[in-house]
Amino acid sequence: MNLLDWIVLFGVLGLIVLYGVAKSKNTSSMEGFLVGNRSMPWWTVCLSIMATQASAVTFLSTPGQAYNDGMRFLQFYFGLPIAMVILCITAVPLYRKLKVFTAYEYLESRFDLKVRSLAAFFFLILRGFSVGITVFAPSLILSTILGWRLDLTTLLIGCTVMIYTITGGSKAVSLTQKYQLMIIMGGMVVAGAIAFYNTPDLSFGETFTYAGTVGKMNLVNFNFDPKDRYNIWSGLIGGLFLFLSYFGADQSQVGRYLAGSSLTESRLGLIFNGLLKVPMQFIILYIGILVFMFYQFNQPPLIHNRSLWERVITNDQSGVFHNLETQYDGVFKAKREQSIALTDALRKDDQQKIDETTNRIMQLDIQTDTIRNRAKAQIFKATGERGNDTDFVFINFVMSWLPHGLIGLLLAVVFSAAMSSTASELNALTSTTTVDIYKRSIVKTADDHHYVIASKWITAGWAVFAMAFAMLASHAENLIQLVNIVGSLFYGTLLGIFLSAFYIKYIKSTAVFISAIIGEAIVIYVWAATDVAFLFYNFAGCAAVIGIGIVIQFVMNRMSPK
Amino acid sequence: MSVEPVEQDKPPVFKRWKGWYWLVICVLLVQIIAYSLISNSFR
Repeated sequence: MNLLDWIVLFGVLGLIVLYGVAKSKNTSSMEGFLVGNRSMPWWTVCLSIMATQASAVTFLSTPGQAYNDGMRFLQFYFGLPIAMVILCITAVPLYRKLKVFTAYEYLESRFDLKVRSLAAFFFLILRGFSVGITVFAPSLILSTILGWRLDLTTLLIGCTVMIYTITGGSKAVSLTQKYQLMIIMGGMVVAGAIAFYNTPDLSFGETFTYAGTVGKMNLVNFNFDPKDRYNIWSGLIGGLFLFLSYFGADQSQVGRYLAGSSLTESRLGLIFNGLLKVPMQFIILYIGILVFMFYQFNQPPLIHNRSLWERVITNDQSGVFHNLETQYDGVFKAKREQSIALTDALRKDDQQKIDETTNRIMQLDIQTDTIRNRAKAQIFKATGERGNDTDFVFINFVMSWLPHGLIGLLLAVVFSAAMSSTASELNALTSTTTVDIYKRSIVKTADDHHYVIASKWITAGWAVFAMAFAMLASHAENLIQLVNIVGSLFYGTLLGIFLSAFYIKYIKSTAVFISAIIGEAIVIYVWAATDVAFLFYNFAGCAAVIGIGIVIQFVMNRMSPK
Repeated sequence: MSVEPVEQDKPPVFKRWKGWYWLVICVLLVQIIAYSLISNSFR
C-alpha cells in the first residue's frame, strides 16, 4: 500500500458516504425513512438487490472457492431465477397492494399478531447474527491484510455505514448501493484481467481448456446426492427454497423491492436480478479460475494468509516452516514445467501427452496439498489458528500482484461490498424492530416523527450490536458457508409460514404458530445430528411447517365443538 | 396498513408479464445447457 492506494481507498469511501448523506432529503417520514418514499426505478431496485446479496465475503471467498474447488459453486444459484418468477407472481403484488413496510406486517392480516411477531422474531435472530458476520468477515480479512487491529477495520466499516443509514435511511442505502455495485464489478473484472495478462502463453480460450483439463470446469453435476453440497439438484431444489425465503420473507431483500416506485418497477428489478445473477456469479468464479491459472505459472505462496505466515516464519527456530517452504518451491518448479508441457500438448492436440502431463500435475497437486496441510497443522500447533485460507487467495493476489492505485481500488471494492450488505441489513433490522415490535406492541399511538427518531436510534443500536459481535466473533472455517448455514436454519421455517399464508387457506393462525416452532426444532435437530447438506434445510423446514400445520389444523377442527 | 386499489401494472416490451417470466426461465435453461456443454467439452 502506498499513498496513491490510500487516496483511492479513502476517496471512494468518502464519496460514498457524502453521496449517501447528500441524498437524505425527504426521509423525515416513516415512508421516506423505511421504504425511500417508494420512489426507486427498476434498475436501482435491481442493483440494490444484487448489492445486498453480494456481501464482501462473496467477493473475497468466491474466487478462492473456484481456485480450490472449481466452478461447481455456480449451481447454488440455479434456483434463483425461478424464485424471482414465483415471487413476481405471488408475494410482490400482495405486499404492494397492502402497502406494507415489512413482510411480517402482511402475516397479521392473514393470521394474527402472534404469528407476525414470531416471524419477525425469527428474522431478527437470523439477520441479527448474520449482520455481525457481514461486518466481521471483511474486518478480519482486511485487518490481516492491512496489519490493522480487528476493532479498527470493524469500526471503519460499521461507522461509515451507520452515518448514511441513520441520516438517509432506505433511500440512501439503495442509491449508494447502485454505485457500490458498479465499483465492485469494475474492480473485480480489472483484477481478473490482470491475472489473465500475467499468465504467460495462454489465450483466453485456452484458459478454459487448461482449467477443464485439470478438473476446474466442473460447472454442472447431474448426479443426485443429498450429502453433496453443490450439484444441480441441490441448486435447483434447495436453492429455490433458499432464495424464495431470502427474497420473499427476509426483510433485507423485501425492503429493497418495496422501495420501487410501482409494482412494475419492483417486478422488473427482481426479473433482471433473475437474468443477471447467474452470469455475475460465473464471472466472479471465473476470476478465481484466472487467479488459479496465474499461479500455475507464477510462484504461489505456501499460505495465502501472509500475515499469519510471516508471524510463524519469523519465530521458526526449529526450521520446520523454512523446510516446508523449500519443499513447496521445489514441487512448484516441477509443476510449472508440467504446466508449460500441458499447454504445448493442448495446442498440438496431442492426447497422449495431455494425459501424461495431467497425471503428473495431479500427482504434484497431491504433494502440494500434503505440504500445505503439514504447514497448516504446524501453524495450528504454533499459534492455535487455523491455516484454512481460501478467503485469502484473492485478496493476497491483489495485494501481491496488482499495481498501486488498483490495490486501493480493490480494497475499496471489499469495503463497498461490506458496506452495501451491512446497510441493507441494518435498514431491514430497523424496519422490523420499529414496525413489527416497537410500533405494534410497545408504543402504539405516537406520531410519525417519533417513529422516525426511534428508527434512527434503533439503526444505531443494531449497528453497535453488529460491531460488537464482529469484535467478539471467533474464526470460521469458511465464512460464506457459515453465513449460508445460519440463514438456512431459519429460512425454511419462515418460508413455510409465508407459503401457508399465501396458498393454504385451510391452515389458521394457531396451527401455523405451533407448527413453525416444531418445524424450527426439527431443522435445528437435522443440522446438529445429521450430515444432510445445508441447502436442504430450507426444504425440510418449509415442508415441516406446512405438513405439521395441516395436521394440527385437522386435529383442532376435529376437537373444536361445532 | 391500508388496502387501496391495485396499482397500474403494465409490463414494458411484452404485452403480459408472462413474457418476462418465460424469458427468465428460457435464459436459465440456455445457461444450464451452455454450462453443461462447457463442463463436458473442457474435461
